[in-house]
Amino acid sequence: MKNIIRSILFTVCAWTAFQSCEKDIPTRKHFDLYAFSGEDPTGGAWKPVLLTDPSQIPLPAPEAVNSAAYQAELANVKSASAQLSGEQEEAIAYWGNNGIVRWNEIARELAAKYNMAPAPNPDGSYPGPNAANPGQYPLFPFAHPPYASRMYAYWGAAQFDALIATWHYKHQFNRPAPYKTDASIQTHLPQTELPSYPSDGAVVASVSEAILTAMFPLEKDFLMEKAREHRQTQLWAGMNVLSDIIAGDSLGRAVAAVFLARAANDGMKNAQAPKPVSDSLANAAQAQWGWHWENLEDPQRPVGVTPLFGRVQPWCIPNVEAVRPGPPPAPGSPDFERDVAELWEISGNLTVRQRQIANFWSDGLGTYTPPGHWNRRASDLIVENRYNPLRSARVYAYLNMAVMDAGISCWDAKYYYHYPRPSQAVPGFTTILGIPNFPSYTSGHSTFSAAAAEVLSHIFPSDRASLEAWAEEAAISRVYGGIHYRFDAEAGLAQGRAVAAYSVTKAQADGAE
Amino acid sequence: MKNKFLYRSLPAALLLLWLCVQSAGAQTPIDAILMPKGGLCIGIFYTQDNWNEYWEGTLKRDNGNVGVLKRQTVLPMVAFGLTDRINVLAALPWVRTHATAGQIRGASGLQDWGVWVKAEVLKAEHLSLQAALGATGPASNYLPDYFPLNLGLGNVEGTARAIAQYRLDNGVYTRLQAGYHLRGNTTIERNYYYTTQGYYSDQVDMPNAVTYSFAIGRWMNDDAFKAEIIYDGLHTTGGHDIRRQDVGFPSNRMIFQRLGASLQYYFPPSQKIGLFASGGYVLNGRNVGQSTVLTGGVSYQFN
Repeated sequence: MKNIIRSILFTVCAWTAFQSCEKDIPTRKHFDLYAFSGEDPTGGAWKPVLLTDPSQIPLPAPEAVNSAAYQAELANVKSASAQLSGEQEEAIAYWGNNGIVRWNEIARELAAKYNMAPAPNPDGSYPGPNAANPGQYPLFPFAHPPYASRMYAYWGAAQFDALIATWHYKHQFNRPAPYKTDASIQTHLPQTELPSYPSDGAVVASVSEAILTAMFPLEKDFLMEKAREHRQTQLWAGMNVLSDIIAGDSLGRAVAAVFLARAANDGMKNAQAPKPVSDSLANAAQAQWGWHWENLEDPQRPVGVTPLFGRVQPWCIPNVEAVRPGPPPAPGSPDFERDVAELWEISGNLTVRQRQIANFWSDGLGTYTPPGHWNRRASDLIVENRYNPLRSARVYAYLNMAVMDAGISCWDAKYYYHYPRPSQAVPGFTTILGIPNFPSYTSGHSTFSAAAAEVLSHIFPSDRASLEAWAEEAAISRVYGGIHYRFDAEAGLAQGRAVAAYSVTKAQADGAE
Repeated sequence: MKNKFLYRSLPAALLLLWLCVQSAGAQTPIDAILMPKGGLCIGIFYTQDNWNEYWEGTLKRDNGNVGVLKRQTVLPMVAFGLTDRINVLAALPWVRTHATAGQIRGASGLQDWGVWVKAEVLKAEHLSLQAALGATGPASNYLPDYFPLNLGLGNVEGTARAIAQYRLDNGVYTRLQAGYHLRGNTTIERNYYYTTQGYYSDQVDMPNAVTYSFAIGRWMNDDAFKAEIIYDGLHTTGGHDIRRQDVGFPSNRMIFQRLGASLQYYFPPSQKIGLFASGGYVLNGRNVGQSTVLTGGVSYQFN
């Protein structure tokens, strides 16, 4: 009997250990709170992206620190931060003092959640998402790579402008942080020398809420709750009084509105062209080049992903023609045959390493897309380099403006050249990755990745070698997967670098370097 | 696109044992369930599993980019009588997958090794109760994140199973089995994936599973011939549905119920050689293909 009990106990213990170790899969990046490596006191003078001036959005002067109103707010912070609940402590640890990194993670999560292609109707036609009725299947948006790149870009650039304005007002009004006025206030985040009005955390939360709600309207409630919690943590942690947070909230919303006004008329609403327009692009390519791409799915998708994304308003490049590569090798030409032979060679002898690379970079449906992959890398670099919110936003802004411009340029080439994928041009050729619903040349992964690596290397020069290696790997991963020719990847890398040069030039002139 | 659940090899391994045992049992009391000490039996089975419709969550559908999903399995197995009441079994399936439509390449290779220990815990005149413990795990570096063409789920798994068989003197019998599958993580080749939320890891927490079967059959012709009808099923104890138009994923919530029938024949007089044939059809499911499964096999009993 003893033995039976012992063996049962053993089983229960082994079971518990087994269960607990397998539940330990992270759903977000874990990092320790850090003190900023610099506070950029002159950041308010940096050049914004859309704002004409950091003071374009007016902000009322705060109450003086010796006013009764402020003293009441201070007392409120003091009592709140002195007795935190477990939930409040958790929330502070989650958002930290650079919540922009968390918002980037949330943006990636939503991109993955909404990156689902519509299913066909029973009659073989395809429904499309409808921004005016987002909750009807297929849900709006379909967060494919062009959509995601644009979402990250508006989010990042708006953060940057809003935080430049924040830094401007912080130093103009110079209201000291609560813990500077009352040293007995307990703080739960690293203290800084930054003035506290307006709250940078509240700005980040409210910009994020506004931009992401516009991009993912069905997530309105979720985002509102997240932003509310983020703003509150700034008070619970002893970093801001309520009026700092209210000012940050209103500034964030006002700057977001400037960006959303641009978004409303940037051409995106026409990007998912109707079939006649889409067909005319294919016909034009057939007439000019003698080929055109076709979707091979059954039932066939009548229109590729955003045929007119190439006409969406870019951020840094003057126009798509400035970075449009020359035509790809004609099917049947020696250059074409050489790269097809390579595809057969790879597909017939695929190594485990090649398969791993193809899958690591697959970033296909149901993922945060290649732009998300690079935002993740950028977030890691921001944390490693202990960037403050303003400098973090600058990374996201230039990265994502370059990545969206890369997407615009790449999509221009895709539908201008309308080049068939290997599976269309090479009879019997199979792939290990799903075949994206847009033309082959140039490779989106390559263009996005080269642009991202260039911008990040400019900001984090000591990581240049590893960033460039990453971009090269992302590019070749599509050849390993069988969905791109090498010439797609190489032209995409060159195109991405050319695009990024414009973003880097803009970055060099913004006053932050 | 979603896979037919990759049926773990235990039921097939037990099947070998039934096949072997009967040969061995020719010289022993007819209700023998295990091979005697020192008994050795080898077998090989071929299975073809096809579906052209599957359940995406609870929605039954077909997929023009898959067509018919064909899965062929060659399953060599061996069973050995450690004692008269304890047998060990081992199996190593080789699998090939192919979709008749679309451009995604099929896969082939060794799937999961499996070893089992099976013991008789109670034996009465007509009733036998047995318990089996098993372990399976990937035998090659196949990619589990390759639905619906993946060879297997890629995780290590421990199984505990109880089996009860009741046999009448006229050869009619019934058998009940229930098993619990404790599953370890599986490893994929990307370090972010989204199920019902995002995960920043290449590790996938696999839901555990329950499998069960109920069989009724009859031995005939001096136990040279057996016919059986079997109803079996699988039910993961967690997991998530495939999203609309998404592909399957190893940690999907998988459920099915299947109806099948089998025939066994032993060549007289020694009954050392056994033949086996079976067919099954998935009646209902969730996040699995509606498979038609055909199996043929042969076993040989050494003394």
